[in-house]
Amino acid sequence: MESLEASVDEMVVPSLFCNRKETIISGSRHSQESMVQKSGERERCATGLEGLDTILYGGIPRANTILLTGSCGTGKTSLALEFLIHGAIKGENSLFISVTENSEKLLQNIMPYKFFDKNLIKSGRLVFVDLPIMYERLGMTKAELSMEEIDLLAAAISDLAAELGTKRLVIDSITSVCYKLKTSEKIRDFILKLGKALSDLNCTSILVGEVPADSTAYSSFGVEEAIADGIILMANMERRGDLLRTLQVIKMRGTMHSRAKYVLDLTPMGVLLVPLLKGGSTG
Amino acid sequence: MSPEMISAQQIANELSETPPASAVSLQMSVDNYLDVIRGVIDLFANKKDMDVIYVTATISSDAIKRVLEALDIDSSRVYFVDCISHIMMGAQSAQQDEHTTLVESPTMLENLMLKVEYLIRRSQSKNKLVVIDSINSLAIHNNNWILSEFLHILVSGLRSREAYTIILSVEEHSTPEINNMVNLVCDHGIHAGKKQEG
Repeated sequence: MESLEASVDEMVVPSLFCNRKETIISGSRHSQESMVQKSGERERCATGLEGLDTILYGGIPRANTILLTGSCGTGKTSLALEFLIHGAIKGENSLFISVTENSEKLLQNIMPYKFFDKNLIKSGRLVFVDLPIMYERLGMTKAELSMEEIDLLAAAISDLAAELGTKRLVIDSITSVCYKLKTSEKIRDFILKLGKALSDLNCTSILVGEVPADSTAYSSFGVEEAIADGIILMANMERRGDLLRTLQVIKMRGTMHSRAKYVLDLTPMGVLLVPLLKGGSTG
Repeated sequence: MSPEMISAQQIANELSETPPASAVSLQMSVDNYLDVIRGVIDLFANKKDMDVIYVTATISSDAIKRVLEALDIDSSRVYFVDCISHIMMGAQSAQQDEHTTLVESPTMLENLMLKVEYLIRRSQSKNKLVVIDSINSLAIHNNNWILSEFLHILVSGLRSREAYTIILSVEEHSTPEINNMVNLVCDHGIHAGKKQEG
């Protein structure tokens, strides 16, 4: 049986309900804003994805570092990009650090969004940086980074964020960075240092993680999930031969949140979410 | 049309009497389908300047487009969520275009909701109507539990968006369970089928 927290939280229905900005709890309705005030107090970084903000009772607590994890083809990069674009539209400087895919290719992927404006890039509100270029400039050519190089890399990223006045940052993917760190100690050290530096800048960060499709863990190295302030899990779920893209917030420090599973669609209007139908299932 | 059946104009009149954001159960006979289409789309939605999101699970969107054309009904503001063309393997599949969005299978009810949501957001019109054609076809592919949950979430969401919902059911194929499921979420019922004796 699921916990009381889960059963209450599952009544939060995003997307189709979002314009109403209401949450149904124990039969009474409260505005989203009053829920945020009640639940406390931490300033929110509204992701701009209506469904996700409803799940998070208003958004990610500002300055948190979130692990957005899942297997390939689940929509992690799209969601992370949308988070940055909405931030840039709101006037928050946003930085995308690409590790696996070059920025040009990424830009081609974000063009179909109806709310995307190329001027966000021209004006410097939305900045793309390729990490391999940073590695090169920092002289990090070896397959494994030393502890000194880890400090240098974390400092270089936080310095860049500070210089750009970044309030939203995405690293896609942290798993690829971790492959250069190799050991759990180094990974822990890097993420802790980077997370602290970004938090000091009041920057809300998303670290994109990759896990194999059959994995039950939230991260490849088992360290990232423990350090992050929040975990958003994206997955492909097969049901009677249909493959559904799902999203579930596993943890989020500093806020109440739904723990239910939602089905998502990637559309030109952005990521849309609806609750996963259970159909009387007890499983 | 057989004389004992409700006319297209009567259907439109009844719909016009319902307040905005209503959910209406429209039970029809298989013989009355064309009048229902004319009443709902031409005499109600088009007259009220509405965008129509037509969820088709019975026949393909192409077939309905042809029906609208044959009836000389303006379909420029009708947008289809087609749950059937994709699974008709070998049949000529409907083209995904500005007016047609395909859902892979009528079992993917969440995706159906997501496509409706997308079209609602895309619509510039203040007035919107969502037609589910039909609950009986969806019941072929889904059990009553999940279908009931789907209707509850969909209709509640549409109500909050102040969109009209019309759920079509075919009286010849309906069961008490399906009727109860529809009645639970609808505010009004229109019987456009054969007149009951007595």
